[in-house]
Amino acid sequence: MQLNQSNNKLVIAAAGSGKTTFLVEEALKNKEEKILITTYTQANEAEIRKKIIQKNKCIPENVTVQTWFSFLLKHGVRPFQGFLFEKKVNGLILINGQSGLKAYRFPCQECKQNRVINLICNKCKSPIYYGEKDFERYYFSKGIKIYSDKLSKFVFRCNEKSDGFVIERISKIYSHIYIDEIQDLAGYDLELLKLLFNSESDILLVGDPRQGTYSTNSAPKNKQFKKAKVIHFFQDKSINIQTDQESFTTNYRCNKFICDLSNKLFGNFKETESANDTLTGHDGVFLIKDKEVESYLQKFAPIQLRDSSRTKVHDGFNVMTFGSSKGLSFDRILIYPTKPIIDWLKDNKSELAETSRSKLYVAITRARHSVGIVTKSTLNIPGIPYFDTEINQ
Amino acid sequence: MLFRPMYITKVYIENFKTFKGSFKLELNEGINILVGNNEAGKSTIIEAIHLALSGLLNGRYFKNELSQYVFNNEVVEEYLESLEEGNASQPLPHILIEVFLDGDGVEEFWGDFNTEKNPKVSGFSLKVAFDEKYQEHYEKLIQLGELKTLPIEYYDISWSSFARNEGLTPRTIPLKSALIDSASTKFQNGSDIYISRIIKEFLDTSEVVEVSQAHRRMKESFMEEEAIQKINEKIKTASKISDKKVELSVELSSKNAWESSLMTYIEDIPFHYIGKGEQCLIKTKLALGHKKAKEANIILLEEPENHLSYLKLNQLISDVKDGSSDKQILVSTHSSFVANKLGLEHLILLNNKKTTRLNDLSSGTETFFQKLSGYDTLRLILCDKAILVEGDSDELVVQKAFMVNNNGKLPIEKGVDVISVGISFLRFLEIADKIGAKVTVMTDSDGDIDALDKKYENYLGKNAKQNINICFDSSIDTGNLKIGDKKFNYNTLEPKLLKANNLDKLNTVFGTSYEFEDDLLKYMKSNKTECALKIFETSESINFPQYILDAIKPVEQ
Repeated sequence: MQLNQSNNKLVIAAAGSGKTTFLVEEALKNKEEKILITTYTQANEAEIRKKIIQKNKCIPENVTVQTWFSFLLKHGVRPFQGFLFEKKVNGLILINGQSGLKAYRFPCQECKQNRVINLICNKCKSPIYYGEKDFERYYFSKGIKIYSDKLSKFVFRCNEKSDGFVIERISKIYSHIYIDEIQDLAGYDLELLKLLFNSESDILLVGDPRQGTYSTNSAPKNKQFKKAKVIHFFQDKSINIQTDQESFTTNYRCNKFICDLSNKLFGNFKETESANDTLTGHDGVFLIKDKEVESYLQKFAPIQLRDSSRTKVHDGFNVMTFGSSKGLSFDRILIYPTKPIIDWLKDNKSELAETSRSKLYVAITRARHSVGIVTKSTLNIPGIPYFDTEINQ
Repeated sequence: MLFRPMYITKVYIENFKTFKGSFKLELNEGINILVGNNEAGKSTIIEAIHLALSGLLNGRYFKNELSQYVFNNEVVEEYLESLEEGNASQPLPHILIEVFLDGDGVEEFWGDFNTEKNPKVSGFSLKVAFDEKYQEHYEKLIQLGELKTLPIEYYDISWSSFARNEGLTPRTIPLKSALIDSASTKFQNGSDIYISRIIKEFLDTSEVVEVSQAHRRMKESFMEEEAIQKINEKIKTASKISDKKVELSVELSSKNAWESSLMTYIEDIPFHYIGKGEQCLIKTKLALGHKKAKEANIILLEEPENHLSYLKLNQLISDVKDGSSDKQILVSTHSSFVANKLGLEHLILLNNKKTTRLNDLSSGTETFFQKLSGYDTLRLILCDKAILVEGDSDELVVQKAFMVNNNGKLPIEKGVDVISVGISFLRFLEIADKIGAKVTVMTDSDGDIDALDKKYENYLGKNAKQNINICFDSSIDTGNLKIGDKKFNYNTLEPKLLKANNLDKLNTVFGTSYEFEDDLLKYMKSNKTECALKIFETSESINFPQYILDAIKPVEQ
């Protein structure tokens, strides 16, 4: 096996540093060889397509843009699925959590009486799942759709069983494989990456561990490397990749105030510097009293960002969740913070769970000019001033 | 890295037309010559390959052409019979054409979704099968018991790669086929779809775009013509047809408008008005000239000997030979000349769904037939049994002997072909040996048995082959006759005939009245063919030497 250090590259890039643009430009430079660009979320896939079309008017013949799941299904599962499974696979079924429920150890009265195993019953307790030995039920739904959380494991198994045909085929088709938002890959995805690193294809990964908000799956495999911790996976000596943490630390989107706040969230990463000097008259991070939110919304038209869609916001104004805002840019945002977020803002040493930290990082770094944080009027946070709609009018 | 165009390594056909059940044909890069008797399936193979690659059948889109008759007739019959009361029902028949590929760019087609379940091959399949979503309709039909034909309306045509890519269409298959069929009159519908297809494939993408743009502009400028505008004005004011604008315009709606309205001209004559032979030549040249970087093509040439003079055929064949270095070519033929010229090593003999190849013919024999391409190699290859003789007189006598012993039937009527091969017995035997053809050699001994044993050592004694029989008279005759200073050769056909009969009998047959055998022998020697003709035509009963009787003996199965 050929180990050529220079062929695989991981670029750790800060939010707003133009990593997706970089990836697209890299792809457009090469007119000869076949290139695959893939990423986990459909939103980002669409964003990549949009960027390519902006720069090149159309997607070049030699470039394929595909989500990670549809890539795995097309090139990972289908070509050699005969090694594992004969039946026709009717696509993919998206799973949050664990798939392949067999029964509950303690079913609720009602389900027990009706003799049903209800996937979403919240009264049944202690679920039991099919093991890999029950092959079909472990990997597939009743309609023979493959469970998304086990997709990459199936591909890994298929490659194993076929003596490496799956990876060999992929590397013969694509000379270059670019993966965006690498922090989203998890579980057996990382095992597949290892195999790809040792294949003939050149692999370019870009991502920001700070933005580890989603994962392709929640499988126990490689649990220690999930989301922000993905960086540790690539630090392993046996992994054949070069890491670049220096080149993408300039944030072209957010101004200095916003960058400074975001840097505090991830102290162990190289600080990002702002390259946005534009002043609009309302620049930086502000607390907004909840009773003044409506007039603030009217005045500045920020996008409202919330942790979950259960959080109440002002109807009639645009709203998104922290997670779904990933990859997007807005002039101004208004954040509805959770309790742990408030605590962290007050004291940066206070506990903030990994995912919450990443989500907050994503949310803050969406804004070019201003970040508003909705608070009760009594709150006092050092370094973040109140914005008084009355005075400023 | 050297670019290696994509090519077909193997075709698998199931239930398509002639092929009941499954049939497999392996192809080589470069030239492949398909020979076989009528009905052996040569055309069906070519049709199947073209269909799988282009989606066209008889020059039209397959989805519009789908009928019960593209299925193997027997398979359909068996299915329909199985539906009758008391019979065990059979599943609905399907058609499958699998094309195995190799060369650059096949990786996308690499997978284990093939009938062989082989994970090491690349290719794709075309399947015509019952569409499962009509299960309910089908059930009803069966219950009503009214199914007298295949329920083709519930069938679906689909392409899939061996990697289970079901989005495959002929358009996305990088290997294109050019079918050149000069014999058929099937496509006499004015615009020859193949010529436009071949021309289109000859152009690269930017040229196609340019042509279609130019075509569009031509139509637009047509619309701007004063005459047309005047007419439209007139229609507009005069017509009470509708409240809406009524206007004369040229059609721009269809996707490939230019393909159907542009015509190919040969020296100012529309393509389909020129001779069939010329058409075939031009199409072949165009297809051979197709040089797109990322696309490969296979040329399917059906019986090129039709409509072509010897000269033109020669020209076509040398073009094909030159082009075969970077193109795959599949030729079906009945002509020994075509086969010999293109090289017998490329021959694929098709017989009862089995294929035999002449792969490792010695280069001497290969070149011999290439240079002397008049030899009837295909006769040997295609007959049930061949008797090889040296010349015309031997041929006539053997025919006669056969008729006498087979109620007056000619050998050919019983599938036995008597072929004069001059002195090239061993060349023909090499072919017969390779393909296992049943062959008898009937030869003079010329009085030198040792020389014969040496000549045929690969087919005699311990090397004897079951399918190859060498017949000669092993008894050596001698006499005193001299022709000039040379001793007369008593061990040829004529003296052996005299020996088997007598002076009187032969005098009667020939209408001669020689008193001495020596004189008759001299006469026969200088009038070989005439004597043989007399023997052939005579109603006298004649005895034949044993070695001739041996040669015509039916071969034991």
